[in-house]
Amino acid sequence: MQESLQVLLKSIALFIVVWAAIRLMGKRNLSQISPFNFVSYIVIAVVAALVSLNLINLIYGFIALLVWTAFPIALDYLSIKSKVMHELINGKETVLIKHGKIMEENLMSVRMTGEDLLAQLRSKNAFNMADVEFAIMETNGTINPYLKSDKKPVTPHDLDIKVAPQAEPQTVIMDGNMLEEPLASLGLNPQWLTTELDKSGVSLENVSLGQVDSSGDLYLDLFDDAVELPQPKVKEMLYATFEKSQADLATFALETENAAAKTMYAANSQKLEDLLNKLRPYLLH
Amino acid sequence: MTVASQVNQTIASLKGTRATLRVYITQSRDDETRTVFTDALNETNTIIDDLEKRLQTLEFEEPQYKGN
Repeated sequence: MQESLQVLLKSIALFIVVWAAIRLMGKRNLSQISPFNFVSYIVIAVVAALVSLNLINLIYGFIALLVWTAFPIALDYLSIKSKVMHELINGKETVLIKHGKIMEENLMSVRMTGEDLLAQLRSKNAFNMADVEFAIMETNGTINPYLKSDKKPVTPHDLDIKVAPQAEPQTVIMDGNMLEEPLASLGLNPQWLTTELDKSGVSLENVSLGQVDSSGDLYLDLFDDAVELPQPKVKEMLYATFEKSQADLATFALETENAAAKTMYAANSQKLEDLLNKLRPYLLH
Repeated sequence: MTVASQVNQTIASLKGTRATLRVYITQSRDDETRTVFTDALNETNTIIDDLEKRLQTLEFEEPQYKGN
């Protein structure tokens, strides 16, 4: 009885200690940790298990835990402060493909076969070796290919298309509840949301998700998927109205016989056309 | 439909766009977007002014159609 109580208390105490130690060692995805950190995690886990089962002395266990927690933190700190230490601790990245050619010696030094390299490249969507200009193995073992410039995905910049800047959307309704904090960060108040919901003709309880995009339009998803909700088309309407007005002015310019009016209509029609070109990326995406 | 009422209609729809632009100017979070919309609003204002001047002339020329 005495012993099992001891195990219980030790386990609870160690659970908290290990949790604190892991938090202290930093926020990292388990798949991205360096091999060295991986070893520290395992040592901490094993020591914690042994101590909580009374297999080793509590004091010895705590000393070991302290060392295996403090050293990784100290090394992390050093590797942040010094480039040399960083390379010493985390290793250096290895170039595997350069100018489209495989560097066989480097491949050998990281102990990879051509097959492994190809598999890794495929997982990055580079199926064709000929498309890869450059590939590097990062210190955590992932391989990142850089495609040849004519094989890279097309961006709006390549196509010379102007796109409107967009900030991240904010979720303002979730599971029928209004989220006040994101609303406030947009500079909006609950009254605004109520008005918008009234406009769409739905009540707050029926909304499973509501998001506001950077232009301030509200997107709603309802619990009842049978209800068809008109999605905001205000921007498209605005664009269409401008387009129609521009066409009207062009017609007036053709129809009128008054020379002064003709030039006025033509000038304004031109102004609207320029305006349309400027507004297109912002109103139609 | 007379020319005057056609022009009147175009003015009305441009005034509608002006209202929508104002809404987007206030609710946009991006400065660049806001500038573009503000420019568009000013441009629309000058066009509406031009058209309203023309409308006055038209109504003066065809007083029988005034109010359409």
